[in-house]
Amino acid sequence: MSFYSLAKRNALRKPLRAVLLIICIAIAFLIYGLTTSFLGGAQSASAASEDILGITSAGGRAQALPIQLLSRLADIPDVAAVGYVARLRGYAGVEKNRIAVSAADMPRLMQVNGKGLGLTPALLSAMDGARDRVLVGRALAEAQGWVVGQRVTITAFDVFRQAGGRDWRFEIAGIFDGETASTDTYFMIARFDYVNAVRARGRDMVDAFVVLPSPAVSPAVLAARIDARFSSSATPTQTQSEKQFLEAFLRQYADVGLIVNLVVGAAFVTLLMIVINTMIFAIRERTFEIGVLKTLGFSRGHIVALVLVETFFVVLLGGSVGLSLAWLAAQLAGAELGLVFSGAVLAKGVAIMVALSLATGALPAIAALRIPVINAFRTR
Amino acid sequence: MTETPDIYIRLESVSKAYRIAGQAIPIFSGLDLAIPRGDFVAVMGPSGSGKSTLLNMLAGIDRPDAGRVRIGTHQLDQMGEAARGAWRAHHMGIVFQFYNLLPMLNAAENVELPLLLKPLSARERRLRVERVLDLVGLSGRERQYPGMMSGGQQQRVGIARAIVADPGLLLCDEPTGDLDRTSADDILEMLQTLNQVLGKTILMVTHDPQAARLAKRTLHLDKGVFVEEARAPR
Ligand SMILES: Nc1ncnc2c1ncn2[C@@H]1O[C@H](COP(=O)(O)OP(=O)(O)OP(=O)(O)O)[C@@H](O)[C@H]1O
Ligand SMILES: [Mg+2]
Repeated sequence: MSFYSLAKRNALRKPLRAVLLIICIAIAFLIYGLTTSFLGGAQSASAASEDILGITSAGGRAQALPIQLLSRLADIPDVAAVGYVARLRGYAGVEKNRIAVSAADMPRLMQVNGKGLGLTPALLSAMDGARDRVLVGRALAEAQGWVVGQRVTITAFDVFRQAGGRDWRFEIAGIFDGETASTDTYFMIARFDYVNAVRARGRDMVDAFVVLPSPAVSPAVLAARIDARFSSSATPTQTQSEKQFLEAFLRQYADVGLIVNLVVGAAFVTLLMIVINTMIFAIRERTFEIGVLKTLGFSRGHIVALVLVETFFVVLLGGSVGLSLAWLAAQLAGAELGLVFSGAVLAKGVAIMVALSLATGALPAIAALRIPVINAFRTR
Repeated sequence: MTETPDIYIRLESVSKAYRIAGQAIPIFSGLDLAIPRGDFVAVMGPSGSGKSTLLNMLAGIDRPDAGRVRIGTHQLDQMGEAARGAWRAHHMGIVFQFYNLLPMLNAAENVELPLLLKPLSARERRLRVERVLDLVGLSGRERQYPGMMSGGQQQRVGIARAIVADPGLLLCDEPTGDLDRTSADDILEMLQTLNQVLGKTILMVTHDPQAARLAKRTLHLDKGVFVEEARAPR
């Protein structure tokens, strides 16, 4: 028997209680694993490049920029390529089935971020011919059940057509996959020339420029340079990495991340209380034994270590089961559900386990320390 | 008091009082005691006379309000709680009236507990546990749990646990108080052997005159002072 197995023995001495506790912890970590994998997947900016810069109006994302800035941006040293997008937000069929359309100049988008989005020359040429053609991201296409050649109607929230109405009809020319599994592909790309020509308002305005920095320059330096160039112009800009940009964008549109964090947070706070409560009970039941151990010469450090090892054991066991189930779900249904169980999800999960163990162990440990050694020789 | 060369335990002018509802209830005031190494002392006295309190102070579990408690070279009243705990782990074994074994550990594991505090390999620990269990006559019962053992057997486990770390001093608080006559005699004989063969110094609190008779001498604690019992030399 070792010190560790003594703690383990303590943890498992009431098997039913231990199993219930472990299941409870496993469920919390399953919720964590699934939701963060979801964030890490379809909804996430995690695969977005740190290198590509997004330029929006310093006055806020809702404010558009004139397309004329394009040539001035292209002239800035170390700008390797520059593109632009106008966003069209709407829905397909029912209002809650939200669809984001980015209208872009295709060759320029290809130059700036063709690799990241998984755009191929074949996809690009498929967009030629008709102006209303679109490329649909894999995740979006699978979720909607769309196929190449299909015509789809997107009802825009606020982009009206000159001819009246908000219904935009597009023809699907191809499906892009994204560079990796965690690339956000839940959107579609339309041709800017088409959207720009047909929309009722905002002619020649774009929501953002995207810039590919030359390899010689750090993106942060170039971002500062761009903002400095326009700071005292009529159109001051705010330049961020694509990742920052996307994160900010997601936050503004619907703060999925915040909601998920709140859900996960609530699950963990509940869990924390259940585990602390159970552990304090377990320690209280052991007042006598802890008193004996102290009498035998076990120090305060030993007692705290015993309690902490016990909580670590329970939390790590439950957490591993939960994360393993989440991982399994991502393997089995990751593509359909947009789950990506990345190393970051795992690392954060392990960090939460450690923090949770310490947090749940602390109070019971203090309770254990309070148990007086003096009881040893009192008659009972 | 002149210093005898091998006085192992020395109490000097020890005072101790408990506060109950703001009132100090004195247990001892100015208690003195000297016990040489290798002695086997029975302490008797009426209930509430402070026998357990005395053991608590000797074990470094409790501290005197005033006075000095020395065991070997260690001045217990000067040491902090952590130091007293560490000292206890290495120098003293305790035998309790109600055995105080941990129910979820089997006999061998209970005995092994004090060894977890020592820098020993698992193998060394196992050998030592085997040896002391053999010594108390429990070979073959290593895997039994306390709940399945008789009182006498549990007390043997208790004794094995007390001596496994090879301490010089054993403190026993009514070690036979919960046992029938036969089991009690077994245990007492075992303590006597530990004293005579292994040279352990033993201080045993007891209500049982027969138990006291097995000790080398008997001290009566009453109203805060010790009175040595006169006894015909054996
Ligand atoms: N922690 C404490 N707080 C208050 N009073 C205490 C405490 N411990 C012991 N006492 C009191 O001190 C006196 C001596 O107690 P102690 O347990 O040392 O007696 P004892 O000689 O061991 O008695 P017994 O033979 O019944 O075991 C008793 O009156 C007891 O009530
Ligand atoms: Mg007592």
